[in-house]
Amino acid sequence: MPAITVITREGEERAVDASSGLSLMEVIRDAGIDELLALCGGCCSCATCHVKIDPAFVPLMPPMSEDESDLLDSSEHRDETSRLSCQIAVGEDFTGLRVTIAPED
Amino acid sequence: METLVTIREFDDPAYDPFNSDEINFGDTKDPYPAIAQWRATAPVLEGDYRPKMGLASALYPDRKMFTVVGTAEIQEVLTDMERFSNAAYKFNIGITFGQGSISTMDNPEHGRWRKIFQKIFLPQYVKKWDDTIVDPVVHSLMDQFIGKGHADLVEDFTIRYPFEVIYHQLDLPKADVRTFQRLAIGQTDYVNYEKAVEAGQKLGEYFIALVEERRRNPGDDLVSLLANTEVDGDYLPEEVLISFLRQLMNAAGDTTYRGTSILLTALLDNPDQLEAIRADRSLIPQAIEEALRWDGPVAVQLRMAKVDTVLGGLEIPAGSLLDVVAGAANRDPALYPDPDRFDIFRDRKPHFSFSRGPHICVGQHLARVEMTRALHAVLDHLPNLRFDPDKPRPDIRGSMMRVPKHIFVRFDT
Repeated sequence: MPAITVITREGEERAVDASSGLSLMEVIRDAGIDELLALCGGCCSCATCHVKIDPAFVPLMPPMSEDESDLLDSSEHRDETSRLSCQIAVGEDFTGLRVTIAPED
Repeated sequence: METLVTIREFDDPAYDPFNSDEINFGDTKDPYPAIAQWRATAPVLEGDYRPKMGLASALYPDRKMFTVVGTAEIQEVLTDMERFSNAAYKFNIGITFGQGSISTMDNPEHGRWRKIFQKIFLPQYVKKWDDTIVDPVVHSLMDQFIGKGHADLVEDFTIRYPFEVIYHQLDLPKADVRTFQRLAIGQTDYVNYEKAVEAGQKLGEYFIALVEERRRNPGDDLVSLLANTEVDGDYLPEEVLISFLRQLMNAAGDTTYRGTSILLTALLDNPDQLEAIRADRSLIPQAIEEALRWDGPVAVQLRMAKVDTVLGGLEIPAGSLLDVVAGAANRDPALYPDPDRFDIFRDRKPHFSFSRGPHICVGQHLARVEMTRALHAVLDHLPNLRFDPDKPRPDIRGSMMRVPKHIFVRFDT
């Protein structure tokens, strides 16, 4: 069970045990961090689970679909580390990942 | 663009689909005290929502029905795709909009088509409609009453502008706008079932011919874009495309008219908050979100249990229909302190008015652009806006869908 760190909008760091197989969105939500809204429930239909991935881990992430990229384009806060956390299945090699919840649009 | 096909009116010219609102969606002045009472009793109740609100039950096949008012249970039903299905909508909007409506489908089929429609309505695209389409529509309507010093903001403005925006985007013949709006609205007149079916048929035959025409002569409108969209080398299935166009005409016109009317009513009822916005227009987004929370246009969504399950302590047999009362979550005091108060300064928490889950409103970003533009125009062009002292105050009504029928106002010229 990889140990990751979630950084909230207020800058608070939370250590979270991430079950591999779940999506990163589910892991953050199940840890009780409710500022990650994920209004569509995890099917790439909104952009309210936007996170920033630690640059060192970006190469480990699954490739981004065109639909995810279009949705991220709707955010004022997109950068090269942006992902929708519902589209990332947690892998065993995520230990040490730091993920920051993107500012609200 | 001139079109070769012609839209056909309702066979009965005396039929007025706008008069069918109360009987279909209720005329309850305030459904929220009853909803609060139910929530205090149980999160899920036996029986459907309509008779609890004094309306005739909808004509669904015989099966158990439940009403969901607990926030956690509402969230659960709307997001748990393993247990709850949108197939319930096959019994109503599937019949008029068409069984190709993505609202009647579940994932993965739903997602396959949704992503095509979703992309058109993403914020980065609909923002571009603001200056080119929304603004001219808003101003052309407002110009007709700006000099008079008085208006009914519903009849003269809110009931027209969102429909005219989508009408413009579809590039339909200008002279037929009222016919299209009557048919679009008539599609959800389920109490006069044959009218709803007639409206769906007439829009359908028109759109089938129009799609053919715009494949031959594409323009830069939405019909041309969708008619010529290909998925894996094929056009969108006709049933999906035509259902979407029917639904778009109804949803794009109807919901934003309701939302804008409620926003304007709430602000006129709370002049201190209207003044705050006048002094600082950056408050507009939070005012829109609060109006949508406080009295969202669509109070109830429908779902079907896919499996035997338990919800809020009640056994729900597979096939049961669930009325999911989003309006209950929006007034949950555990989420929003003093929930019946309209307060644009309250702590921002997401509301349920665009629903949740995979079917979250595709048009939500357009609705926000339209409501923003409408409110700016009201502030820019209707100085000293106030209720007309000689006319009744607006009266928001409905238990399924909410709207005031009139907003009589005066302003300086």
